[in-house]
Amino acid sequence: MMSALIKWMQRYEGWVGAGGGLCILAGLYLGLVASPPDYYQGEVVRIMYVHVPLVQTAMLAYSTLFVGSLWYLWKRDPIVDNLCHAAAGISAFLTALGLITGSIWAKPTWNTWWTWDARLVSFAVMFLILAGYLMLRTFIDDPEREARYAAVFAIVGFVDLPIVHFSVEWWRTLHQPLSFSMRGVSMSKDMLIPLGVMTVGFSLTFFYMVMIRTQMLYLDHLLAAKKGRLLSQVHLSSDVGSSSSSLSTP
Amino acid sequence: MPFLNVIRWVAWKDLISEVRSRETISSMFFFALIVILVFSFSFSMDQAAARELIAGIIWVAFAFTGIIGLGKSFSAELQNDCLEHLQISPASKGAIYLGKLAANLLFMLIVEVILFPMFVIFFNLDVVEELPLLLLIFALATLGLSTVGTLFSAMTVQIRAREVMLPILLLPLAVPVMIAAVEATRGALHGDPLSLYGNWLQLLAVFDIVFTVLSFWAFEWILDS
Repeated sequence: MMSALIKWMQRYEGWVGAGGGLCILAGLYLGLVASPPDYYQGEVVRIMYVHVPLVQTAMLAYSTLFVGSLWYLWKRDPIVDNLCHAAAGISAFLTALGLITGSIWAKPTWNTWWTWDARLVSFAVMFLILAGYLMLRTFIDDPEREARYAAVFAIVGFVDLPIVHFSVEWWRTLHQPLSFSMRGVSMSKDMLIPLGVMTVGFSLTFFYMVMIRTQMLYLDHLLAAKKGRLLSQVHLSSDVGSSSSSLSTP
Repeated sequence: MPFLNVIRWVAWKDLISEVRSRETISSMFFFALIVILVFSFSFSMDQAAARELIAGIIWVAFAFTGIIGLGKSFSAELQNDCLEHLQISPASKGAIYLGKLAANLLFMLIVEVILFPMFVIFFNLDVVEELPLLLLIFALATLGLSTVGTLFSAMTVQIRAREVMLPILLLPLAVPVMIAAVEATRGALHGDPLSLYGNWLQLLAVFDIVFTVLSFWAFEWILDS
């Protein structure tokens, strides 16, 4: 028996992956070659075309995880749990990449690798939550319980993130005004278009990765289930003794 | 059993067993005492420095102590299969959660009320006028820690590596509580007017309400065999 979701993924994964790849190639050309350097930041600004889409896709990934977790608690479909697991892993990866590229970008522009800004802290917390999510899953043996606990943790963590962002923003703004803020920086069309193309490309690539990873996890669970069934059959047949002939014949 | 009775009985059961064994509160208390000592050695503060740092030290000590208490809250249920009896009991899971939450909150507050005079003595604080406000801050922030903490305690007690996983899951989520508690405590200890740090109390209250409701709802999925 194969779920409709897996079938749907198998049908569309190629298109989504190809679309993502094409968008990223086009975005890289537009961002690295065709777009002008920034008036203040010079060529350094080009890391934006990777950093901003990474961060946005990481948030898209956690939102997918959140919706998937609610969906799992509602329907209890193991394939939806595979989808959540896939989205969480990719989201943690994208969040880490977003933090690293942000750090690289911050050094030349802000002259520091790290600052306790609201976005940076809430992103670091999001990474810790996702890492905790993935660790939690490895410590539970029963797949059904693993899915249930992980879904609850993902939902609680998702609700926490806006409060984290809000509290850090308050914390900093009470002490000192933010000396650097991306707000109010209006962007020219030459930069906005490559940024948009890259964001679409990263999002499509994320969906492609989720589709592939979900199928892998699904097959993994299927394999484990079949192994379990096979083992129990062997136990059953050795207990009964005479009925083992049907298994021994190839 | 009516909803309120379940809450009362679960909390009462925890209190009775604590009064008889005195395990949780005494271990929390001595752990916190050691944390205070370690901090006072490692920072070697004069009074001016203590004034700046003390709010953070208080809340690090309270949070770590709270984690010990929260972890014990459900690991005590493992003996004699008590956890399974809670799982199969026909009582509302949300009521069991609220009862556990009440007991945890009470234990943590008792320890904090015993510990706070130690801070006052060791770090030479002057707190007499601000005492009611400080108690309000302690209550709000401790409720914030124990709402999510009680939920995660029930979760981690049923998995491997439970002692490690509770702080790993709880502390990132408790970032807003810690920031707000430290800022409000610092404001109160400095004797600032309430209008300067009152918004942190509001943030704590919002966190408490959001996560009490969310954990109450989610507990159904955690305590389910």
